[in-house]
Amino acid sequence: MKSFLKKFIQYYLKVLTKFVLWRHKPFIIAIAGSTGKTTVKEYILKFLREKYGEDEVRGNPRSYNTEIGLPLAILYLESGESSFWKWWKILIQAKIKAIFSGKFPSKLVLELGVEKKGDMEYLLEMVKPNIAIITNIEASFTYPNSSLDIISDEMKTLVERISEKGTVLLNNDDARLRDLAEFSKAKVITYGLEEGSSAKAENLETDIEGQSFKFTFNDQQEDVKIKKYGRHFVYAWIIAKVVKSIL
Amino acid sequence: MELRASRIPGVVSLAQGVPSFDTPDPIKRRAIEAIEQGKVAKYSLAPGILELREVIAQKLEEENKFFDFEEEIIVTAGSIEAITATLLALLAPGDEVLIPDPTYTSYQPAIKVAGGIPVFVPLEEENHWAFDIAELEKRITPKTKALLFCNPNNPTGTIFTRNYLHAVAQLAIKHDFYILSDEVYKDFIFDANEKFYSLAELRGIRDRLIYIFSFSKAYAMTGWRIAYLATHQKLAKKILAVHDALVTCAPVVSQYAALAALEMAEEELAKYHAIYKKRRDLICRRLDKLKNIFEYQKPDSAYFVFPRINKEVLKKIALDPPASNREAIRAGGGSWQFAIELLEKAKVATVPGAAFGPSGEDHIRMCFGRSEEDIDLAFDKMEMFFDNLKL
Repeated sequence: MKSFLKKFIQYYLKVLTKFVLWRHKPFIIAIAGSTGKTTVKEYILKFLREKYGEDEVRGNPRSYNTEIGLPLAILYLESGESSFWKWWKILIQAKIKAIFSGKFPSKLVLELGVEKKGDMEYLLEMVKPNIAIITNIEASFTYPNSSLDIISDEMKTLVERISEKGTVLLNNDDARLRDLAEFSKAKVITYGLEEGSSAKAENLETDIEGQSFKFTFNDQQEDVKIKKYGRHFVYAWIIAKVVKSIL
Repeated sequence: MELRASRIPGVVSLAQGVPSFDTPDPIKRRAIEAIEQGKVAKYSLAPGILELREVIAQKLEEENKFFDFEEEIIVTAGSIEAITATLLALLAPGDEVLIPDPTYTSYQPAIKVAGGIPVFVPLEEENHWAFDIAELEKRITPKTKALLFCNPNNPTGTIFTRNYLHAVAQLAIKHDFYILSDEVYKDFIFDANEKFYSLAELRGIRDRLIYIFSFSKAYAMTGWRIAYLATHQKLAKKILAVHDALVTCAPVVSQYAALAALEMAEEELAKYHAIYKKRRDLICRRLDKLKNIFEYQKPDSAYFVFPRINKEVLKKIALDPPASNREAIRAGGGSWQFAIELLEKAKVATVPGAAFGPSGEDHIRMCFGRSEEDIDLAFDKMEMFFDNLKL
């Protein structure tokens, strides 16, 4: 019964999501990868909102990025968790929003959460991204992990689905991702600290203030300081900068 | 005391610091899902699953604490493992570790296990159990390697304020020692004059600060044994080697449960906070009725109250012991005897103050993590006991 209800909710939300995206045709930026998706999303939201204003750009609230989370993110609704009545209310709200809501942001920044084979295909039945960003492919476990190859295949699906007019951003510091570039018919921009990155960070230094680096993209250079620690923040900053320059 | 209490029928316990609640449903569901999806049977990476560390870093960022989830966060088997692994990584035999007096009882054994020597720094009871910075500095020697403290403090419920903490940080820089800040009760702040401040917010000491948080109390997960530490990557690397040797990784099922706690259990956390505040007010009202027995300071946080026992009462109850309790007296002072009398005669379990350090003597610790019914019942029993003694 529980499984039937889940499938019903999933199907119902998927139909409404496809409808609402068909109606409003927003520009979609999709972020996938093992980690760093939320950080990248937050940076892109910040950079794009500076350019287009708060109401024009929306991202997944929290990390709603799965088969049920993604439609909720697009329809801008909370999860009903395990409450039947909450879900009932949400389904009604979803229908009203999908059919009657006039306001919709022109740009969506969406995390795509993928755990197993087929997940990406399912999410891409709902959303057709204009830009795809892949952060990394990493494991949480110590044993030899064939599941990483499965995830890599899922990412390949995303890369293949971006049209010629779109853009794919791949982490050049991740060997698995570098190899995906050949499957793209869209423009590929690689980013990272390693040689060969189209958008590159160099001279990365960390001190008590945070991190600083020199950023190079399209023959332009910029000295950057971010008040946070960890390479994923450097990547997120670079990605957001590149996305802002594309749009 | 809990063990002793368990052997006596009809005892109401205000002793052990465990929440009265079961783990929230969203957490349990996520753990079950993780088991069913086959995610928990094998070791995770030693510092923990990436998803959890990433969410931890995001939560810390919301509190103005900045750590790299890949290099600077380690998920541990409870906060005591985080503390012990840190001490084992940092201490050489004979190194001294400063601890507030009174403070959490398990700090002393953890320091000793790591070959260190605990050095008590008395807190100022008359100043709501605050640090006395002069007393702290007096106890610093060339052997001092670290300060280990709990903020908010167990058993006093004190919140150490920003000014005191900055003074402590300055001493750490001046005398070159590490600071272990155990913030397991940070989510239960009831009345504070200022916003709760953590030394993990102070960037200037991030190379000597080890921040520790446990899911046990905030999310009613004491049995799951799950916590984390966050520190500068150079320290994290050293601690990770010990953590790996001790436990390989924190229980993976508990890591998924912790992930759910951070992502889905905000409502429960707020609910617990409201309930503990209500219980704090209840226990204070009941203590107010026993003014001839106890003198106490209203705790600002955590779920403990640490009343001082009236001298005359202590003399009457604790210094005229029956023979059967002599062993207990040898183990400590009047607070041990008082707590044992309460346990055996009133059937109420508390923790003797001496267990938390010399300054805890003449006090007992009562936990209001327990239900209102338990608190009322315990106080009814104590009132009857004191009435019978004509106190």
